[in-house]
Amino acid sequence: MKYGVYIHIPFCRKKCFYCDFPSFAGKEKYMEDYAVALCREIAMQGSLLPGKAVTVYIGGGTPTALPLNLLEKIIIQLKESFQLASDNEFTIEVNPGTVTLAILEQLHRLGVNRLSIGVQSFNDDLLQRIGRVHTADAASCAVFMAQQAGFANVSIDLMYGLPGQTLAILEESIMQAFELDVQHISIYGLQVEEDTVFSRQRDMRKLDLPDEDVVEQMYDYIVRVLPEHGYVRYEISNFARSGFASRHNMSYWQDVPYIGLGDAAHSYYKGHRLANLQDIPDYITKLQQGETVSFEEEIITPKIAMEEFCFLALRTTKGIDKAGFAAAFHCTVESVYSGMILLMKSKGLLVDEGGWIYLTPLGMKYGNVVFEAFLL
Amino acid sequence: MQTKNIRNFSIIAHIDHGKSTIADRLIEYTGTLSKREMEAQVLDTMDLERERGITIKAQTVRLDYIGEDGEMYELNLIDTPGHVDFTYEVSRSLAACEGALLVVDAAQGIEAQTLANVYMALEHDLEIIPVINKIDLPNADPEKVKQEIEDVIGLDTSDAVFASAKAGIGIKEILDKVVEKVPAPSGDENKPLTALIFDSYFDPYKGVIAHIRVMDGCIKKGMMLRMMATGKNFEVTDVGCFKPAPVNMEKLSAGQVGFVAGSLKNVKDVRVGDTVTSMENPAAKALEGYRGVNPMVYCGLYPVDSADYDNLKDALEKLQLNDAALVFEPETSMALGFGYRCGFLGLLHMDVVQERLEREYDLRLITTAPSVIYHVHKTNGEILKIDNPSKLPPATEVEFIEEPYVKATVIVPNDYVGAVMEISQEKRGEFKNMDYLDVNRVMITYHIPLSEIIYDYFDRLKSATRGYASLDYELVDYKQSKLVKLDILLNAEPVDALSIIVHTDRAAVRGRQLAAKLKEIIPQQMFEIPIQAAVGSKIIARENVRAMRKDVLAKCYGGDISRKRKLLEKQKEGKKRMKSVGNVEVPQEAFMAILKID
Repeated sequence: MKYGVYIHIPFCRKKCFYCDFPSFAGKEKYMEDYAVALCREIAMQGSLLPGKAVTVYIGGGTPTALPLNLLEKIIIQLKESFQLASDNEFTIEVNPGTVTLAILEQLHRLGVNRLSIGVQSFNDDLLQRIGRVHTADAASCAVFMAQQAGFANVSIDLMYGLPGQTLAILEESIMQAFELDVQHISIYGLQVEEDTVFSRQRDMRKLDLPDEDVVEQMYDYIVRVLPEHGYVRYEISNFARSGFASRHNMSYWQDVPYIGLGDAAHSYYKGHRLANLQDIPDYITKLQQGETVSFEEEIITPKIAMEEFCFLALRTTKGIDKAGFAAAFHCTVESVYSGMILLMKSKGLLVDEGGWIYLTPLGMKYGNVVFEAFLL
Repeated sequence: MQTKNIRNFSIIAHIDHGKSTIADRLIEYTGTLSKREMEAQVLDTMDLERERGITIKAQTVRLDYIGEDGEMYELNLIDTPGHVDFTYEVSRSLAACEGALLVVDAAQGIEAQTLANVYMALEHDLEIIPVINKIDLPNADPEKVKQEIEDVIGLDTSDAVFASAKAGIGIKEILDKVVEKVPAPSGDENKPLTALIFDSYFDPYKGVIAHIRVMDGCIKKGMMLRMMATGKNFEVTDVGCFKPAPVNMEKLSAGQVGFVAGSLKNVKDVRVGDTVTSMENPAAKALEGYRGVNPMVYCGLYPVDSADYDNLKDALEKLQLNDAALVFEPETSMALGFGYRCGFLGLLHMDVVQERLEREYDLRLITTAPSVIYHVHKTNGEILKIDNPSKLPPATEVEFIEEPYVKATVIVPNDYVGAVMEISQEKRGEFKNMDYLDVNRVMITYHIPLSEIIYDYFDRLKSATRGYASLDYELVDYKQSKLVKLDILLNAEPVDALSIIVHTDRAAVRGRQLAAKLKEIIPQQMFEIPIQAAVGSKIIARENVRAMRKDVLAKCYGGDISRKRKLLEKQKEGKKRMKSVGNVEVPQEAFMAILKID
């Protein structure tokens, strides 16, 4: 069995204004105990699934917010407890504000072979406006250091639709990204989530989001200009040079099982989706007592499995593999969805050819319309 | 029970003056139900009645009470609805009684429906016992209210009971007054049977159950009976009274109130107002029945999912079993497909029916804006009765149009007279009369188009008078008005279900308001949607629903797949409540938008 491993580090120097992830600033006092507890969980879960972990992803939060010695412990424990495939993809998320060349070199030595650097924008005013702790220069510098440390697979995250952002500012940032010669770029449109600084600003009418026409222009610009520069779109928000699509993230969209470790991490295997405890002290205490921290979030019924198989696959440009669907569910995708497929085709949102069903460029733009259509 | 020990009475009151609470106390006091069995407002059996605190269906209950004289009395209480829409139910109930308790709130005094109900009771020649309720309220002024009843209604109030149903004050006095003042029924058990059907309901096991008041003769189980108007014959399988659950009895005799059930599967055989007699020894003459009730307000009801059409029909038929005032017939709309044109007594009735259909029959419905019946005089001399704006003939074929007017009676503190007049004028009302009920309460009468009443007249009145205004209205006449059809076009296509009939002078304003409201209601879609309001071929207002620029979840990774799926499910659920009109997804509430303009 092939599976992925996700490790969550819930610490941040400061919470970004758009962020609704389980990540916390000001909880440094738990770091030591957390690392110990996490190692314990890793040890407990190492042989949960047969086969090998083909991808590992350490995300957050800010993994590099942890002192390097703790991060080392965690990675060493992981390599000890899990069997990693020889060609594994091992990613760690990095914040430009919490990284040094020495750290990156050490991570590389430990077997990390891919970096995902949270840049968001190369405009200092904008970075401040969205609550980032670093400058544009620091972001560029982090990319150089990564390359110097030997990483041949570097990704950066960018955002659009941010308050105060103009098309020109976005264009500059993207041009800057091209100059850095990275292998992979993720670009996310801002979604204002509840219980974030942005949602509170919105409620007070103090969130100056760009007009939706402008956001559309940004989107159009992104999906045009990135491929022109060799970054092929392989998912709604992800672009990569040939051979550098994120294998770990693809596993979420291609129905590959994964084990989540750490505070609030999610796992998905054998028809279950599980969620770990979110409260850090709880998480630590339970593991100190040798108890489980993982609880059933949802049983994936065949109906849900079909829905997720389709709407997640449709996020990728390859789309739904009809043979894969048939193998997973012992029926054809048409036997379940023929009416919806026809309707979505008639709206110009979907293509059905060569054994694959995938979104048209218009469908990518109105993905939710199609995703909803695949809910039963 | 001897006829002389029977008392049949109703309770009449303005809404919220405490009618149902008094009924509860009487039931409790007489031990008809034990304390344990009592729920507040026991006679309001529908969930909707309890939730909204209103009585929709009249209910009957028999109370056994030992009077001051030590004799056992059978008191038949018929609870009646208080809302103006259900006035006809009150009238039917009163015909089965000899007396009525007139309940007036000791703090509020006489209200519009107090008067309407009293006049109805007087028409039926009933003995009226004033009950001044809620005397325990801090702002109660029972003596003043008593005086008001004398002055305004001209009733002798020397026998008035001061009560508080909530605090249990005056309940025994009410029962004693009923025994003392309400005349015993005057029937003769030896005469041929005549019994008045004043209500009916459908029981899935027993068939149609008729609420009856026996005038002469008696009904026993096994007797063969005949409905005098419909000619339907049937055998009595059950006869009895309500306590308040149905209790079988050996017989019901002259003067008594109860129910009769038989081989009656079709509700159409049991017409409210009909007379039941015996087949063997039929009465020569039927009792005076009721005027049929005519719906005043019509709207279209359409299933959101057209596959539900037959279910809607079944549900309407079932509701009609217990609601003779509901009428419906099939209609089709270009925009909405197949549905029903339904007639109601008023907006509350419409609301209640719609809610019951959705709740009890699990239907998702689109309700079109309510319309009154217009009399359209065509140039060729033909007269059409139009209850659906989209059916209005082209202006070139119309000589003139008449619309129904009501006499609206509003009672308010005199500080608000100006506000009432302003709103009434604005609603095209014609001032008729103004009377002072006392030094600071005024009764104002207007003739107002019914279409304006159902639009938002009462809401406006309530808010302009801080809730003090009470309203009653009755149909008076049809009058000629300058009316036009206002059409709405979505994406340049007229949507028949959105057409309304408006006064010429209001067309431009209403058109603008309606287009603006629709813009709020119709969600953004993948393309721009022009909304236009038009009279004939002339566009009088235009709005645009901007195209949605993009709609796609930016992120979806391992940790939030469940959450994102639920988000999509929620959105999809929302879309199920929309109807595709052409290629535009239109939410249900858009078809009622005209009522939501402020």
